[in-house]
Amino acid sequence: MRKSFLLLMLLIVTTCFSQNKQILYNLTSVPQSMMLNPGADFKYKYYFGVPLLSGMSFKVGSTGFSVYDLFANDGVDFNQKLRNVVYSTNRNDHGAINEQIEIFNGGIKLGDWLEDKGYLSFGMYQEFDLFAYVPKDLAILALDGNQNYIGKSFNLGDLSMKSEMVSVLHLGYHKNISEKLIVGARGKIYFSGFNATTTQNSGSITTTVNPTTTVYNQEINSNLSLNTSGISKYLDDNYDGDVAADVQKQFLLGGDMGLGFDLGFTYYPKKNIQITGSILDVGFINHSKDVQNYTFKGYYKYEGNNPNFSDTDDPDSVYDDFNEAIPLDTLYNKYTTWRPVKLNASYQYSFGTATDEDCVCTATEKRYKNAVGAQFFMMSTPRLPITALTGFYQRNVSDKLQIKATYTLDSYSYTNIGLGLSANLGKFNMYFMADNLLEYRDVSKANSLSFQFGFNFIFADSNEPPY
Amino acid sequence: MRKYHFIKVLSLALLLMCSLSCSSDLDFNQANDLKLTPVIEGNLSYFDVPAEVFAANGGLPVQWAYDEQEFDIFRDKYFNSYLQRADFHFEISNTINRSFSLSIVLLDANDNALTTMNFNIPAYSGNTNTITRTEVFENARLELLKRTRKMRFLVMIGQGSALNTSSAGNLVLRSSATVYLEI
Repeated sequence: MRKSFLLLMLLIVTTCFSQNKQILYNLTSVPQSMMLNPGADFKYKYYFGVPLLSGMSFKVGSTGFSVYDLFANDGVDFNQKLRNVVYSTNRNDHGAINEQIEIFNGGIKLGDWLEDKGYLSFGMYQEFDLFAYVPKDLAILALDGNQNYIGKSFNLGDLSMKSEMVSVLHLGYHKNISEKLIVGARGKIYFSGFNATTTQNSGSITTTVNPTTTVYNQEINSNLSLNTSGISKYLDDNYDGDVAADVQKQFLLGGDMGLGFDLGFTYYPKKNIQITGSILDVGFINHSKDVQNYTFKGYYKYEGNNPNFSDTDDPDSVYDDFNEAIPLDTLYNKYTTWRPVKLNASYQYSFGTATDEDCVCTATEKRYKNAVGAQFFMMSTPRLPITALTGFYQRNVSDKLQIKATYTLDSYSYTNIGLGLSANLGKFNMYFMADNLLEYRDVSKANSLSFQFGFNFIFADSNEPPY
Repeated sequence: MRKYHFIKVLSLALLLMCSLSCSSDLDFNQANDLKLTPVIEGNLSYFDVPAEVFAANGGLPVQWAYDEQEFDIFRDKYFNSYLQRADFHFEISNTINRSFSLSIVLLDANDNALTTMNFNIPAYSGNTNTITRTEVFENARLELLKRTRKMRFLVMIGQGSALNTSSAGNLVLRSSATVYLEI
């Protein structure tokens, strides 16, 4: 009990965020930008990522509290800090972790140098996701009990979290359908490593004063359920294997599968104005293997031990009554989870053409030196969607070096400044991005941190005939 | 040349940022100090017995009434290990024109008496007639409580003329428990 509570709290503490990759989005010198918009304006002859190193991204975030609030070495009792955090957050505060690692990634232009038959891109990445709301009412009940909350209805729906690990195999295609418009789509096959979802909870625990009969009216109305797939064997007491290795094996040896797609476009109403949009991960996973559902459903009214002084012997037993009224059931029903859907959109204004000095005089048109614009991000969660608004400035320092600076407003912070750069050394491309730079003054107080980096080989598209 | 200069500056800036970034002193071992100390309020027992229950039966006056209840929450070993202290609050009101004595006996699984709580309830004489008491279970007495599986309620009727079916009044027990846990 104590351990599981601690685990829950730790999960929530490390929990993170929303997968907004505002710096990478539309930074089209990096191939991974196509993962955020399958219709990104990225042209190449072919490219491939350095296996396992082409794309890494990590993001953690929490609203309402930081690691410092809980773990500061300041002599204050940990339980007091935990209390302060629980009481200062609300039920919509949450934590999230997202981690993505590309296993392989590549792309190739279809058709020869004269014709544009579009661009293919493909690859596989692994993603870990954890999202949890602060289970405020349950935490209060566990910390302080109901003594000071007679009359309060503790909301069991505060418990809402999900965690999963998936491998995603994807194939994308984008094409200029006119001078001004590029559209793209990406199909995805999800392989679920494990999944645990408890987001459909409701119910309450109430204690109210009863002026006439029993001292209190005490009722528990419980509708709790947890769906899991792919984890039952790790919960087994006799399990002594290596979790990491076994999860990997599960990916390949057929866990659960699902399907999904991404769509996106880039549109140039004028040469120096660009509008983009994308919707990602519209898809589902069907969990049918190694499925276990735990439910805790029922209604129980607790009245105490009440003798009636009649001869009939009433086999009242609180313990058994409760277990019968609200049984813990284990079921084995298939279930379906939806991937968190992400929306991106951007508007960009470019200005300042490259000077002749910098011009390498390729046949392609000159790039603008500067761009400013705004981006919008939205992601579905078990409750209200997360949104973020970003303003950015992008500069092509040279053909080989692009930098992008962002300022983002979201529920995690109002002072999120991010910086990213993409550099080409010959065919070798590397990029590095981090946000919440101001928080680096003291990372323990940060509400959210993210960074991405990766290495690719890019062979540029050109309009010149190959020799 | 210029751009390499720029890369140098930039990487220096990044390096500087990384080295200047810092973290307050954190101590994750604090999590081991986690101690949940909920205080739970709950119903314990309730009865509301009309005088007629104590009425003479077949001419013989009833001397006592008796009931035994399963009280098996302490079967739960986790609950037992978390339990630090329990306070039982009793409120007994009597509107019957007779005095009573109530004994609540806690029994273990083999019906052995572990501890007994006795209440002397005066007869009703027109004024509010309520007695309250709190019984605290700590230390050795708490250990007895943890072995409890049954509660026996025993009501002895005081001296006086026999009650009959038209005797007025009720004997009412309302009780609750405050349970101090440490998890």
